[in-house]
Amino acid sequence: MIRNGKKNYNLIVGSIITGFILLLILVGTFYTPYDPDAMDAASKFAGVSLKHPMGCDNFGRDIFSRVLEGSRTTFIVAAGTVFIGTFFGIIMGALTGYYGGIVDEILMRFNDAMFAFPSILLALLFISLFGSGKYQVILALGIAFIPSFARIVRSEFIKCKNMDYVKNAKLQGASNIRIMFVHILPNTVTVLLSAIMIGFNNAVLAEAGMSFLGIGVQPPDASLGRMLSEAQTYLFSAPTYAIFPGLIIILMVLGFSLLGDGLKSEE
Amino acid sequence: MKYAGKKVITMIITLFAVTLFVFLAFHFISGDPATSMLGTEATPERVEALREEMGLNDPVLLQYGRWALNFLKGDMGISYSYRMSVSEMVADKIPVTVTLTILAFLMMVVIAIPLGIYTAKHVGGVIDRIIYMINQVIMAFPPFFAGILITLVFGRILKLFTPGGYVSYQKDFFGFVGYLIFPAFAIALPKAAMAVKLLRSSVISESKLDYVRTAYSRGNSTKAVLYKHVLKNALIPVITFLGMALADMIAGSIIIEQVFSIPGLGRILLTSISNRDYPVVMAVIVCISLLVLVVNMVVDIIYGLVDPRISIE
Repeated sequence: MIRNGKKNYNLIVGSIITGFILLLILVGTFYTPYDPDAMDAASKFAGVSLKHPMGCDNFGRDIFSRVLEGSRTTFIVAAGTVFIGTFFGIIMGALTGYYGGIVDEILMRFNDAMFAFPSILLALLFISLFGSGKYQVILALGIAFIPSFARIVRSEFIKCKNMDYVKNAKLQGASNIRIMFVHILPNTVTVLLSAIMIGFNNAVLAEAGMSFLGIGVQPPDASLGRMLSEAQTYLFSAPTYAIFPGLIIILMVLGFSLLGDGLKSEE
Repeated sequence: MKYAGKKVITMIITLFAVTLFVFLAFHFISGDPATSMLGTEATPERVEALREEMGLNDPVLLQYGRWALNFLKGDMGISYSYRMSVSEMVADKIPVTVTLTILAFLMMVVIAIPLGIYTAKHVGGVIDRIIYMINQVIMAFPPFFAGILITLVFGRILKLFTPGGYVSYQKDFFGFVGYLIFPAFAIALPKAAMAVKLLRSSVISESKLDYVRTAYSRGNSTKAVLYKHVLKNALIPVITFLGMALADMIAGSIIIEQVFSIPGLGRILLTSISNRDYPVVMAVIVCISLLVLVVNMVVDIIYGLVDPRISIE
């Protein structure tokens, strides 16, 4: 973390924030102070206190427990989205970049068309076809994210496919599949990693946005976006209800983007 | 000119691909429109008659052609749930979303360009570092959360506008714009932060090039080098970004419209999605994509004008 006597603050702060968020998610998986869905009329809109560190919502549910559960949902959706996007993006980008030709041309035109499309719009289109829910959101966003990954992987493959180490592998009789995934792919990792970081952040924001609109994660699953949309109704009577889930989203995105910036300057 | 023509043709082809994709997706997944219009209790004969009347028994591509042609003529079909012309429902929503996006775009440019140049000029200074930190945090803001905070601060505490007090542009245009300033700010803020960061790093990497040293050696002042030489080149990637941001803002307004209860394209899109009112969903998606594609095309053409190297390739 220290290079040329200069501390990489981005990497340090990013690691701390991301670590903190991951810790919250991990703890929330096994333990929440209250049942996130348990309603308690007596503590409706209870303020911040030792008993309820983030207060209570309109049903008297403990916001802290719901934030723990919600950040897990958001994290899982974002991770699933990035996984689908990366997996199919790598396959598509590798094949088109390595072989080229007419299939590449057609697929890339199609890809450009999709890329010109804002991903939230594409996701909305899929949601209106698949219906809403946690898995539908993962699928919809995942598909919407494929083009950007395919594009990045393809350009890396085009750059690498004429390099000496690939020619060398060919002379040794390595199969095309082996060259693509054993020789070239590991060399794209640095580029891919920063794309994953950015993609993860976009996925967090997109999931939050869709759940906020009420077409993403459905109850009883808690999600940070959903909490914000519920909180908006009570914004003036209970502002903390909106502020804490929003803060967690910001920390999640901030942590990853600092981490990404930090890793980039380490290279 | 040849370059611009090429871009126009690309846009038309892309538009064709997008509409075909949208049409086919809804055609195969959304179920039978005749059944959706008549409800589940209709007799099979009536459904069949309506299918014949609507031309649903024709080949898919013929149906697409008819739909696209009608669309160009301004006939976007009939809404399932309101039984009225989709064009009528959509027409007065477009100016709302477009105004919101333009306002947000102007705000982004006005905030980002001066701030970006300032930070690039003072790299490593205290203010540069503070702006860098604020930038990082703002970039992590989901626009709708920015919207919620703006409602809280400007609407509730400072009382600069009435939350939910949207004014129609047909009634009072200035009141309309006045209300839209706050949602536009929420859309512009995260994008402006990204633009500042990009402009700063672009100016810095441009300043390290040889022609800058040459410009200095010829006796130019720092100011002259920055404004006459460096900025010209440093702005090029920023223009690409601004174009992409504009396209993003059109889509982003869908969410912000919900926060500030503005009856624009986003509003109608969401209600139609939950009502499974497919003709409206299709029409709104095609309208938004058309806006996005036109923006992309214009940006590409401007890009070619600013940087002649691009159009030669």
